[in-house]
Amino acid sequence: MSECVLQAENLSKHWGGLKALHEFNIKFYDKSLHSIVGPNGAGKSTLLNILCGTYPATKGVILYKGNNVTGLKSYQFCRKGIGRSFQKTNIFKASTCLENCCIAAQQRVGGSFNLFKSRQSSQFIKQIASDALAQVGLSGRADTVASAISYGEQRQLEIAMVLATDPQVLLLDEPMAGMGHEESLTIIELLKQLKQRYCIVLVEHDMDAVFELSDLMTVMVDGQHLITDVVDNIRANPLVQEAYLGNDDEVF
Amino acid sequence: MSVFSTKAEKVFILAFFFIALGVPLFFNENTFYVNKISTMLILSIFVMSLDYLVGKTGLISLGHAMFYGLGGYLFAIMVPEYEEVNFWIYTFYVMAASSVIALIVGLIVLRTSGIYMIMITLALAQMTFYFFADSTEYGGLDGLFIYLKPETSIFGLNFLDLDNETHFYYLCLLSLFNCYVFFKITLQSRFGRVIDAVKENPERATALGYNIFHFRLVAYVLSSSLAAYAGYLFSLQYGFVNPTMMSWEVSASALVMAILGGLGTVFGAILGVFVYESLHYGIEHMTQYWMFWMGSLIIVMVLTLKSGIAGLVEKLVTGKRK
Amino acid sequence: MDMSLFLVQLLNGVQYGLLLFLIASGLTLVFGVMGILNLAHGSMYMIGAYLVYYFASATDSFLLAVIIACVIAMIIGIIIERFLIIHLYNRDHLDQVLLTVGLIFIFNAAQSFIWGNDPLGVEVPELLSSSIQLTDIVEYPVYRLFLSVLCIGIALAMYYVINNTKLGMMIRAGESNREMVENLGVDISKLFTIVFAVGVTLSALAGIVSAPIVSLVPGMGERVLISCFVVVVIGGMGSIKGAFVAALLVGIVDTFASVLLPGMSSMTIYLLMALILIFKPQGLFKS
Repeated sequence: MSECVLQAENLSKHWGGLKALHEFNIKFYDKSLHSIVGPNGAGKSTLLNILCGTYPATKGVILYKGNNVTGLKSYQFCRKGIGRSFQKTNIFKASTCLENCCIAAQQRVGGSFNLFKSRQSSQFIKQIASDALAQVGLSGRADTVASAISYGEQRQLEIAMVLATDPQVLLLDEPMAGMGHEESLTIIELLKQLKQRYCIVLVEHDMDAVFELSDLMTVMVDGQHLITDVVDNIRANPLVQEAYLGNDDEVF
Repeated sequence: MSVFSTKAEKVFILAFFFIALGVPLFFNENTFYVNKISTMLILSIFVMSLDYLVGKTGLISLGHAMFYGLGGYLFAIMVPEYEEVNFWIYTFYVMAASSVIALIVGLIVLRTSGIYMIMITLALAQMTFYFFADSTEYGGLDGLFIYLKPETSIFGLNFLDLDNETHFYYLCLLSLFNCYVFFKITLQSRFGRVIDAVKENPERATALGYNIFHFRLVAYVLSSSLAAYAGYLFSLQYGFVNPTMMSWEVSASALVMAILGGLGTVFGAILGVFVYESLHYGIEHMTQYWMFWMGSLIIVMVLTLKSGIAGLVEKLVTGKRK
Repeated sequence: MDMSLFLVQLLNGVQYGLLLFLIASGLTLVFGVMGILNLAHGSMYMIGAYLVYYFASATDSFLLAVIIACVIAMIIGIIIERFLIIHLYNRDHLDQVLLTVGLIFIFNAAQSFIWGNDPLGVEVPELLSSSIQLTDIVEYPVYRLFLSVLCIGIALAMYYVINNTKLGMMIRAGESNREMVENLGVDISKLFTIVFAVGVTLSALAGIVSAPIVSLVPGMGERVLISCFVVVVIGGMGSIKGAFVAALLVGIVDTFASVLLPGMSSMTIYLLMALILIFKPQGLFKS
């Protein structure tokens, strides 16, 4: 297996008395897709939010390529190469799709405090942005305002923006939430492409997609790590089935 | 990409500066009107700086007059009494000093946002107001007088006489024009791109790796130092500064003017100032209770006019194609 | 400063703080439940003071004047909520600022139209006009003590209402989660009207009862509003408990500053606020 890029050690997050995440250990490897599943309220989103610095961890350490990144501000995580997408579509709706990606690309190129250089002047920024749009298959929508494209396309744009920041790790929070079957298939194809180049951490409820895409799976329950293994072993594991039995809404 | 964001802006800006250039010729003998319009030009710079902050950066300040007043006070305090100083050098001093103050105030104020920021900017502006109003050193409520207007020579060339109303008028017009161009350029710049992003979706901008605090701080300092410049011009025009310049009424009416003109349109600031001030003088001329009518007007405006007069102009220019 | 003078200043500080609490609690209540920042809150303080001036001379009875002024203030509150504020729900902060600034203009014009711009005073009611002897030389007016007691009484009443009644339950629920209240089947528009009317009446009441110890001048409302902002910012927006603690703090600090630091007394509370904000940007009691 390839090298481990992102690692959490004894990660905990307590909201008052509630242990949303408890003593969590996990490793994510480069060029692979690692999905995290579990019943609602298991702490998947909390884990993701801590891994990209949205909230500070109560306890524990996050290591990125062997460096301790715990306690960095959330914007610094992105600069290190840990990009994230949001569960609820979170884009700049008033701007065109290309501009959305340009905003992301400019962060990586720099010069954002330049008051006089026109934002349109850099071909380099535009190139990165167009490439990102091309990767998710939105090239045809470059000049369309983001609020005018379909919901599925907005989810794709969401991923394109993360790509434009040149990440090494992609933390994807339910990229298929609320999508129709066709649209989901597009994303699945996209993720298959992307996992050959990035370390992807996927939180997703669509189990078919998870089984199809994952190299490794982690099941978590009540903020705790239950098991991490390859897909086939997870499917057969009695512990996992037990964990899901109480939840009618999610069945394998 | 066009310089102007909308057709209304193009029509308005071209017409405005064209007419404004001819104003002193038109009012030839009557310096009263030239002075009044100079004041409105100065006010336009101030309101434009506020529009940049509120309409473009999304930070609502109800204490912007603090910097307007500081601009005048900084000059009056720094300038040696009975000595003719250079206008351009002191412009630099005033803007540099107000930038430093804005940086410090911004570090406190920008820790908060929304309703908190409204209250804190107002409270800090009041603090500054009382600081000057209570001080014996700075003249208390009477403020300070500026006895000698600065001279304006550059490399020995002297083509502006600030004591001459017409000259001063053109200085104000030029300043407003520069201010407008400056804001337009920064809004089109790479910095402007991030400012747009931070305004529309701060959460996402952060997730993309931007430290939004730094961008807001830069915008705050830019806006505040231009407000100070406007206050500096105002104090030169009238030859004094007093705490009234930074009272909450000035901040509040500037906000009303910015919204009246159309928030976030930049050029709307000019429109807002001229409409508001004309109404103000008009109503004040008729009744001493002009505040009643202004208040009613503001309320009607909030309840009916959502995109300000700039929105109306846009509709008129583009025709009612809807 | 000797002991008796210290005691007098402390009493003054507490009394001023309690009065500020009365105003700030109204502001924070309206914000907490309705999400509205009412800048015209200070104008109601002014209107209360002028109303009691008018009715005290018209009826010759301070008590009667207080009651009439309260009722009028409440009616004004209901009218403002029903006809103006009602359009502001779901609008952004800026529209709230503007509309309520418009109201300030109107109130100020009304005040100047009806009562003019000269300072006015209201007599302390005879029953409370005496002073009590603290030491041989220092005495303290009974009316100021009465004010403190009254404010404490109102604070306790508010505490009781909020914690023990159905209205209080709705208010608490509204502060934590506005949508939930609507889902509970509460008539939200009626709740908002009541809360707004009570909020402005609290402010007016503060103006009414402090009328005998201050002089009535144009702009008195704005001064109070801004002190009140300091209280709310320090205490934490939407927190009544925070408003109580912060109001006392501000009242005492302000009173002592005017004795100890005469040159910069009016700045002290703002410095206090800035200091607290550096460490606690959301105020001391974030709700």
